[in-house]
Amino acid sequence: MRGFGVFLGKEAREILRTWRIWALPGLVVFLALTGPVIAKLTPELLKSMSGTAGMGGVVVTLPKPTWQDAYLQWSKNLTQMITWVLVVMAGGMVSGERKSGTAVLVLTKPISRSAFLLAKFISNAGLVALAAVLGAFSTWAVTLGVFGEAPVRIMVEATAVWLTFAIVLVAVLTLFSAVVDSRLGATFLGFGVLVAFTIASLWGPAADLSPAGLVNAPNAVISGTGGRLLWPLVTSAVATLLFVAGGMCAFSRKEL
Amino acid sequence: MPRTCCTVRGMANDVSAHPIELTGLTKVYGSSKALDGIDLVVSEGSVYGFLGPNGAGKTTTLRILSGLARPTTGRARVLGVDVGAAGNDIRARIGFLPDVPGFYEWMTAEEFLRFAGRLFGLPAAVLDERVEALLDLAGLTGVTTKVGAYSRGMKQRLGVAQALINAPALLMLDEPTSALDPIGRKEVLDMIASLAGRTTVFFSTHILSDVERVCDTVAILDRGRVVVQAPVEELKNRYGARKVILEVTCGTEALSRRFSAESWVTAVACESRTLTLTVSDIEAARLAIPAAVVAEKAGLVRLEGGEVSLEEVFVGLVGGAQ
Repeated sequence: MRGFGVFLGKEAREILRTWRIWALPGLVVFLALTGPVIAKLTPELLKSMSGTAGMGGVVVTLPKPTWQDAYLQWSKNLTQMITWVLVVMAGGMVSGERKSGTAVLVLTKPISRSAFLLAKFISNAGLVALAAVLGAFSTWAVTLGVFGEAPVRIMVEATAVWLTFAIVLVAVLTLFSAVVDSRLGATFLGFGVLVAFTIASLWGPAADLSPAGLVNAPNAVISGTGGRLLWPLVTSAVATLLFVAGGMCAFSRKEL
Repeated sequence: MPRTCCTVRGMANDVSAHPIELTGLTKVYGSSKALDGIDLVVSEGSVYGFLGPNGAGKTTTLRILSGLARPTTGRARVLGVDVGAAGNDIRARIGFLPDVPGFYEWMTAEEFLRFAGRLFGLPAAVLDERVEALLDLAGLTGVTTKVGAYSRGMKQRLGVAQALINAPALLMLDEPTSALDPIGRKEVLDMIASLAGRTTVFFSTHILSDVERVCDTVAILDRGRVVVQAPVEELKNRYGARKVILEVTCGTEALSRRFSAESWVTAVACESRTLTLTVSDIEAARLAIPAAVVAEKAGLVRLEGGEVSLEEVFVGLVGGAQ
């Protein structure tokens, strides 16, 4: 794994010195900060709309919002918008370097292709983890401020479950980005896998045993309706290893 | 010179072997044959020009040599090791510049050179020294703007500099001067010329004058085949010997008619009182030309073997086929 540390260092500096530091963490923190406020104001907004044109006579009655609504807003953002942004962002992690010509310049030096790909995976997974931690802390702090109550354990569990699923997706995109020449192609395949996991999550055995069980798990953790997540977590870890190893194997054989 | 050997990743690495050896190298993409049985040997210390028109197979050859692509058949050896088995130990002794080098645009030249040097595992003191020297060589000392804002010439010079960061035993450059303006070309060629005798340089191009200027040996590639490989001077002499320049005091038209009828003359060019003959049999020419001058009472001023440019050699070897 010669060159792994040097290349990982380059990846870290690249994240800090380019748009990448703002794209995912920026979006996550923005949604994390606004989520609890939106949860707090939603009933008031709907109530005020009941008197507007076309809504005459409609009476909207909503329960008083709680920390749980703020947390659900956070988990909804994670499992929908942020997951899709993640797929788009990670789709070009290797193909982008190939297209720009930087991969050729680097890979003709003493760094193995496996080290190159592993550094790509770890840096992207690290960026997602950083964004998730920052977002979780932000939404917890704002929830505490707005609602006066914000259970730490539930926030940690819901975020950790999503992060595990997100890392599976990063591994999937590591494989596709290594194999497919175009960023668009890798991203489309990534969306395909995401949709497949979402559909599979509706089928009991898949939800109980595979990474698909993590798709809706953050909401379930916050609502207190979640089942045991041991098998989805274990199979997610195994799937991550297999996707990354498959990517390393395919990339080592690929002509650049 | 005694032959010495060392072992790299379990393979015999003959350090006194030629830096590059290609034997029957072919590369097929679908139904298209990019390389068609290339045999080539590059001697240590030479600046070797790999010349050919666009699409001749130069970049494909360099991609195989640098480990980016695999040959379909045949053998490619770099620094004594088959490229298929060459690992980090061999790559550590090679410098490579692709035809369109891609840099991390958020880095400065110094940052990129340090990054490249660290990939080679250079100690900090050596790296400091090399980075300073190479920035100077590339004319980029004190340039603090990001690589993304560089001109094509600056990027190309940085490309050559990064390929030298490990003081390579073999430097491979793919079209390093293409798409550069005349000043940029001169700067890159000066950098390459300054390496002569210090490292083996294998340099692909389609620009004939670049080869004439910096290379001591050349291989001409056409449609995936090596048409000829030889030292530049030998090549020019070999083909130059077939050209004869004759200057007379008068009678050029009569001489031109007479020579055009000879079977050993393939072309006659007449300019003022000078005739340039392209001949197929130099011995016959040496005997017949003085006799013709006497017969036409032309008055001999000058009779000599003509200088030929590499361009004429190239066109003669490749142009006709196209």
